[in-house]
Amino acid sequence: MATCKDCKSFFAREDDRSQGDCVMRVVDPRQAYYQATPVETEKDASKCSSFQKK
Amino acid sequence: MGQRTAQTEKALSVDELANRREWWSVAQKTRSKRLDYLRKGVWKKGAIGGNYAPGIKIDLTLPQLFTEKWQEQEGEPIMLQKAHAIAHVLDNIPIFITDRSQIMGYIGSAPHQIVWHWQGISMVNEEIYNEEGIIPEPEEESLEILATLNDYWGGRTAVDKLARILDPEDAVKFMSGAIGWGTPTSAATYSTKDFTYIFKGFEALLAEIEERMEETEQKLQGNPSPQLLPLYDKLPRWEAMQIVLEASIRYAKRYARLARTLAEHFESDPTRKEELLRIAETCERVPAKPPRNLQESLQFDHFVQVLARYETFEGAWPHRPDYVHGPYYDKDVNQEKRLTKEEALDLVGEHLIRTYEVGIFAPKWAREGLQGITGTWVWTMGGVKPDGSDACNDMTIAYMQAARLVRVSNPTFGFRWHPKVKDEVLRECFECIRHGLGYPSMRNDPVLVANTVHWYGHPVEEARTWVHQACMSPCPTTKYGCQPMRMASATANCAKMIEYALHDGYDPVVNMQMGPKTGDPRQFKDFEEFFGAWVKQMEWLRNILVRTVNLGRVKDPEFFGRPFLSAIYERAVETGTDACDPSNGERGNAWVTGFTWVENADSLAAIKKFVYDEKKYTMDQLMEALNANWVGYEEMRLDFVKNAPKWGNDDDYVDDLMVRCLREVSRHAKENKCPSNNNWPLLPENVSGNIHYANLVGALPNGRRLGDALYDGGISPGPGLDKKGPTAVLKSCGKFDHVTDGRAFLLNQRLSPTQLSGEKGYQLWKAYMKTWADLGLDHVQFNMVDDATLRAAQKDPEKYQEVIVRVAGYSAHFVDISRKTQDNIIQRTVQGLG
Amino acid sequence: MKCTECAFEAPIGKFRYLYNARIDSSISMRQCPQCEQWLAVDELLGEAQDAVHPGEAPWGKSAGIEGLAGDSQG
Ligand code: SF4
Repeated sequence: MATCKDCKSFFAREDDRSQGDCVMRVVDPRQAYYQATPVETEKDASKCSSFQKK
Repeated sequence: MGQRTAQTEKALSVDELANRREWWSVAQKTRSKRLDYLRKGVWKKGAIGGNYAPGIKIDLTLPQLFTEKWQEQEGEPIMLQKAHAIAHVLDNIPIFITDRSQIMGYIGSAPHQIVWHWQGISMVNEEIYNEEGIIPEPEEESLEILATLNDYWGGRTAVDKLARILDPEDAVKFMSGAIGWGTPTSAATYSTKDFTYIFKGFEALLAEIEERMEETEQKLQGNPSPQLLPLYDKLPRWEAMQIVLEASIRYAKRYARLARTLAEHFESDPTRKEELLRIAETCERVPAKPPRNLQESLQFDHFVQVLARYETFEGAWPHRPDYVHGPYYDKDVNQEKRLTKEEALDLVGEHLIRTYEVGIFAPKWAREGLQGITGTWVWTMGGVKPDGSDACNDMTIAYMQAARLVRVSNPTFGFRWHPKVKDEVLRECFECIRHGLGYPSMRNDPVLVANTVHWYGHPVEEARTWVHQACMSPCPTTKYGCQPMRMASATANCAKMIEYALHDGYDPVVNMQMGPKTGDPRQFKDFEEFFGAWVKQMEWLRNILVRTVNLGRVKDPEFFGRPFLSAIYERAVETGTDACDPSNGERGNAWVTGFTWVENADSLAAIKKFVYDEKKYTMDQLMEALNANWVGYEEMRLDFVKNAPKWGNDDDYVDDLMVRCLREVSRHAKENKCPSNNNWPLLPENVSGNIHYANLVGALPNGRRLGDALYDGGISPGPGLDKKGPTAVLKSCGKFDHVTDGRAFLLNQRLSPTQLSGEKGYQLWKAYMKTWADLGLDHVQFNMVDDATLRAAQKDPEKYQEVIVRVAGYSAHFVDISRKTQDNIIQRTVQGLG
Repeated sequence: MKCTECAFEAPIGKFRYLYNARIDSSISMRQCPQCEQWLAVDELLGEAQDAVHPGEAPWGKSAGIEGLAGDSQG
């Protein structure tokens, strides 16, 4: 089963490898930004439409 | 402005554009690429004519995260329960870094989102279902989340709890919406912040808390006594403070981590890479430790403001950023030359933009009273240091220059004028006004320092640290001076004083007996009897508002709880109390905001002259005309408007009545006491309350009908009724004492941009300001946009998106306010100076 | 009173009173109940004068140096 850690958008935390940031590029109608959402390293990625294999 | 194509605009030089007063184009041409990108990238969060802009959505992640943790911690003391919930939000809410930005922190998961603070009033929470366009997609799913949240919070919000202990009659009258504005709770509030304390760094505050806790635990091991018992309640409060401070440091470090990730894995441009690494270093440093440079001090500041707004809806932004950040600017730009002036200006400009982008959901009635903006974020500039010497610095100038470059309508500035202000700084103020920003408002510092000492007994050195607590009221930023909660929920719709005096305490608009029965005015034998009725109605109106706020205030720590604010309040840290607990030494700085005040003087003058002195009309005739809303009495109405004396024309007949009213209120202000046992002076001003109350105040003897906008200022004459020129306005306003006759007095004036162009214009304005200061007025603010531009903007709002006007205690983009407010602004007299 | 746009006729009170942007003028804004057009109404005559569109000010210019007097006192 693919988990977040297998995803290109996943960046593990150095202080706690079981957690990480899901970093996404967002371009909205006004500005562009990078958004980070905390995720668990072993979170099931099968239902994530943004999953991209590392 | 904006009439031509972008191509022709480019062809015009900055000077040509300035001559045409096309200030938005001037700004676009002169600001850096970074500021241009950031300014254009901002999502407008203030409601446009009462509605949110397309694309704006409420953030549901925040209340969900908060509520899930809150429920887990059920049963804990409220501050501790809340601290856990806030920490959970700060650890898990998505964060973002906008391209080219250097200052981090936002309340919400994405730039187009606004926070919906759900802990205030269930009734307001229910209103969200009727809001079009702001429910996030997929809407059905969001509505389900909202319903679950509302089901849980129904009956549990701060005001729900307060409502259960309010006197039922008071509650009905308060909730009628006719007499007061706002709710006495920290759920909709604002707070002064003492950055000399906060900038010690959160680690230092944590150490202080730790020390207090150890000390207390030791005491608890001693001889048992009743004195020890309250200490048990302090421990969980300190623990709550620790939890939020630690979470705040972690929140900042999440930005540091993201910035580093971007620098290492995403960014190819070496300059931006370097910036990202600097952002990372900054967010690792602050708010944990004291700032060392301008970027760190601005970042620390912004984190504090954002964190406070994660805790609750802080609708004002009491701050004195030039004073707080000036030393860091000086170090970076002048001494160590770590930053160029332009680089510093980028940071300062972004500070304004980051503040402007903050959005918090407000119900429709609140948006109507505060059209076009999220809150009254009036930043204080200039003034004096505690020793009385000039406090203006390079940062004062940088903020003024940056304001002209980014042209945001929020925050605005209030400038503390004093006799030692240098000409170069005064010119900067004038340039902002001339550029049509409507700010800074000008505040008379010596008068307001004396006023702050007079009303509350703040020591003069502390009074000199004052900031605008909201739009107008000064508050010291000291340990015992800081005000932690919005007490101005005692906001009185003052036109009701005269209306109730005319109707025996009955409200003909909401159809209920509100004030005391002071008698049928048709039976009054003379003006003194009528005035006596007015005094009784005035006292009643103030009393009901003040007692409600006093109760809300003392109950706030029990009903709401503010762990974050407490953690950054020295007196709360020292005593292990909630910042809002009035027993922790707050000196008191409460005031009653007086909306729709001037109608009283004009109406009393009309009654005195026509009914009692000249006996031109009987009271019976007047009451008939008022009861008919003047319909069918147009000739009589125009007589009351044109031939009765009007405030603002240096006419003692009406001016004396104004002074008499103010003195009655000031007497009563000392009889009313706040929970710190201090006074409740009146502060006449309107935000856009004069429009909000237009349909809640009936016909009055000054000639207005139900539906007409009320006068716009706190002591501004009625629009178009000041016929004798600007000096006469100032003279009228100078007839009462701005120290002892009230807390502060808002005066709107409109000036002609044509007349005030060039050096001559500056000199004319400076001479006007001298008269203003000599007469001892405490406030004045200006609109300097001509009729033609404003009418054109009404016609073609798309092309005039960036025209800013001064509404009342705040500025707004002209196209974002309702037509009625627009017309009200246009109809203000354009004063010719000189 | 008669609406200048759709000719709807009714007593003045049936036309919703909006506001009088200038208190010292007898011109007020009312709304026709039929076509919903904003109308400039002379309250003295009880007559609708014209439709009011964005950017129009039937009560004239602002007081002061945009229209009336300047500073008479110095
Ligand atoms: S949540 Fe989805 S996009 Fe984000 S890291 Fe996990 S799998 Fe990747």
